Amino acid sequence: MVSSAKLSHTAAMILQAIDAGLIYGFSIMEMTGLPSGTVYPAMRRLERDKLICSRWERQSIADAEQRPPRKYYKLTSAGAEALQASRQRYPLLERMISAVEEKSL
Amino acid sequence: MTPRSGPAFHAIDRGLLCCASLLVPEMQRAEWRLEWESELWHARRSNGASGTSSFRTEREVLGFCIGAFQDAACLRRLGWRNRPQFAPLHGSATQCLLCLGGLLLVSYLASLLLPGVRAARDFSGAQVQPGAILIQDEEAENNSVPTMAIDQIRAWERSKQRYVDGFAFYRVARESVELGPKIDSTWRIAQTSSNLFTVAGWSPRYMVAKEYTRNDVPGLVLSERTWRQQFGANPDIVGMLLLVGSRPARVVGIAPGDAGRLPGNTDAWLLESDSEISSNGRGYVLAHLTRNGRSEMWGGLVHITSYDAQRTRHGFWGESLEEQTPGPENVFWFAALLTLLALPAVASVSLAEYSFSSHKPSWIRRAVRLGFLGMKIALIMLIAYFSSVDLAYWHSSVFSPGGVYIQLIAVFAICLFGMRWALLDQRQRCPVCLRRVTHPAQVGSVSRMFLAWSGTELICTGGHTLLHVPGLPTSWFSAQRWMYLDSSWDFLFAD
Repeated sequence: MVSSAKLSHTAAMILQAIDAGLIYGFSIMEMTGLPSGTVYPAMRRLERDKLICSRWERQSIADAEQRPPRKYYKLTSAGAEALQASRQRYPLLERMISAVEEKSL
Repeated sequence: MTPRSGPAFHAIDRGLLCCASLLVPEMQRAEWRLEWESELWHARRSNGASGTSSFRTEREVLGFCIGAFQDAACLRRLGWRNRPQFAPLHGSATQCLLCLGGLLLVSYLASLLLPGVRAARDFSGAQVQPGAILIQDEEAENNSVPTMAIDQIRAWERSKQRYVDGFAFYRVARESVELGPKIDSTWRIAQTSSNLFTVAGWSPRYMVAKEYTRNDVPGLVLSERTWRQQFGANPDIVGMLLLVGSRPARVVGIAPGDAGRLPGNTDAWLLESDSEISSNGRGYVLAHLTRNGRSEMWGGLVHITSYDAQRTRHGFWGESLEEQTPGPENVFWFAALLTLLALPAVASVSLAEYSFSSHKPSWIRRAVRLGFLGMKIALIMLIAYFSSVDLAYWHSSVFSPGGVYIQLIAVFAICLFGMRWALLDQRQRCPVCLRRVTHPAQVGSVSRMFLAWSGTELICTGGHTLLHVPGLPTSWFSAQRWMYLDSSWDFLFAD
């Protein structure tokens, strides 16, 4: 596992976005404003480092909402710890994501 | 933008994802595609790219899809870093055998793919009939000068023979051959008894059946070299008429490569009956010995004594064609024998095991170790065989004398250095696990060799043995010794 001190600002932003709840790749893009070529590779690395984990949504839910099933990501306990450390390192992180959330609401 | 262009953009997006997915490791590809297809759906929906979309939104969706390439490349990099490491194979017996097997495969495939080597194998595959001999006058110093007269053959054929059941004669002369309109070439044509190839035991390739040839036109068998050089190895040449000298001759087949090694350096054999061959000049005689005749052979030679009508004695030597025309296999075995004789000069062939203690590996382990050495040597010899054939015949398809020398040298060199390596490698393999000992450490000082031991120590990474190699062999420590490690060493090798 990588230490939280090594987390880049982008990775910290993604962790912060995922912390907002069950979330999938495109919603992270929307929340962070980062391009797909940045978000997805970063999520692969976070998943490899076991800071986040993923699971597929049940097909029945997707069918009910008439869309393809989503792959949701959530923080692991290590990821939560890393995010906590990152928040101290990047104080504006929490505010930045919440502002985006409010804006999207 | 027209509503019709929507599906086109959608197809482009999906095509991009499809291309990007090729970068993803195969195991993860299906799931990756599924996730990106799902994300694409959300991206299109979010950008309003369904139905009445604008170029701007399509460009954004396209940008989203291009990001898939970065994601795929990232997954590929991660997969490469996490690939299974073959550290346990490093230095192991399996790795050694795999490397040798790989080399053997390469040399074997090369022998299959190189056209020259393939042709040499096909053509030299023709075996000389046992008992086929080339007869020369006993006064002849070598085969370069023909010494036999056809009248002698006719005389032998008239009398009842106990030791020989077939004779064939051929005489070589330079003749012009018309290959096409205004295309002439001068060939060495052998005027030959029609049974020459039967006596030698060779069957020409693409041979035209007798019933399809006219009796008034003699048959012409091309040498393999001429067939390749003059006709580009075109099998359709068989059956065509060529003008040899002033008379037509029909190409009836291609001689096997071995036939090119008959004395006379012949380009083509003109098949005629013995009565049609003129008595002028000397030629070569091939004969086939009966079982009784073969029993008279000694070292590939048989002496023939003949008496003419005036009771004058004539002596001849018959030399086995098998002895005269060594195939690649014969050359290989001869060179391998030379290697075995030369090996002690370049490496110590002793594999005696010395140990600091009375401990010895079980007989099964010793048998496995010996078997491993045997496999290495067998693989090296096979590599030497195929590589030498590749080297010797890649540029020329026929069995040329130059090819024999190249093959001889190649087999000798590969076998000699290969076996030397095999023996040296064997000495540095742990007797327990056959892994190469590593991590050499210089111990002691040579200047103090009378007070203490000096040399190099190597250790088996499996934790089985320690190898001591003396820096300077002395009367009390002349050869390397193994130390079998007990359980007290285990802590060093714990994971």
